Amino acid sequence: MKITVSINLGGYSFNIDEDAYAELKRYLKNLDLHFAGEESSSEILSDIESRMSELFRSKLTVYKQVITLGDVGEVISVMGRPEDFPDNEGPSRKEKFSTPGTHRMYRDPDKRVIGGVSSGMGAYWDIEPWIIRVIFIALAFAGGLGIVIYLILYIVLPEAKTTAQKIEMKGNPVNIHNIKNSVKKEFDTVRKNMKL
Amino acid sequence: MDLENTKAQMRKGILEYCILSVLSKNSCYASDIIKELKEARVIVVEGTLYPLLTRQKNAGLLSYRWEESQQGPPRKYYELTPEGQAYLSDLDKSWDELVESVNLIRTSEQLINQ
Repeated sequence: MKITVSINLGGYSFNIDEDAYAELKRYLKNLDLHFAGEESSSEILSDIESRMSELFRSKLTVYKQVITLGDVGEVISVMGRPEDFPDNEGPSRKEKFSTPGTHRMYRDPDKRVIGGVSSGMGAYWDIEPWIIRVIFIALAFAGGLGIVIYLILYIVLPEAKTTAQKIEMKGNPVNIHNIKNSVKKEFDTVRKNMKL
Repeated sequence: MDLENTKAQMRKGILEYCILSVLSKNSCYASDIIKELKEARVIVVEGTLYPLLTRQKNAGLLSYRWEESQQGPPRKYYELTPEGQAYLSDLDKSWDELVESVNLIRTSEQLINQ
């Protein structure tokens, strides 16, 4: 005698042995982790669950009404475990294991007032550039120190020209996804400016 | 070099193309696509199909509609969008070019050997 569990898989209800349930749960959890970086991971998972539900239904008859551990194993081998999937299927996995994004200070030409030093520092520390501008102006009145520091930083800091540099400036990892977002944002800004 | 790995890499590249080709004939639901891909031996585990379908749908190449089914819950029927059709005809062209290139290389090797 075995205890069974009642589950809902892909809109269908199944009676499943306890050990089979544990195995199925572990498998789905692994898939969930595998697709976690994916844009529509929940949709992928629900598609997979529907398919598994279909495969399980084909294993049930009038005389066999409970899903066993063997059934779960068979269905899993048809669907494949995450380690069976080609590993560079999508950008998400690569991104997850790529080197962490570098975070560098640049001058930000997009939001500059004079040379983009304050806007660049603001982007680097994620604070409003005007706060830095106020500090520079205050320091400028303190014997011109603000002007000297500004000039030095203007010379030392490179301008963020490429999309990758603009992403680095904010400290996000440089990957396809972020570059795409960044380019899209720029495009939207240009479009908005054109309309105005 | 691992033969199985190389094979898997090759298959992976053309899988996306094959999905679009299957759908260009008529709209199908995922299990029909799997059946055809399995018969053609371009897919090993079914789990690889679903992320690809979702990605192609997100990219605007596919769309789907829910259809009632007698055997169970409603099914997702996928079909190519006009964008997907254009994308596929581009892939068709580049596939033909690839086959031609590979054949060219393979036959020219034979000439040297002779």
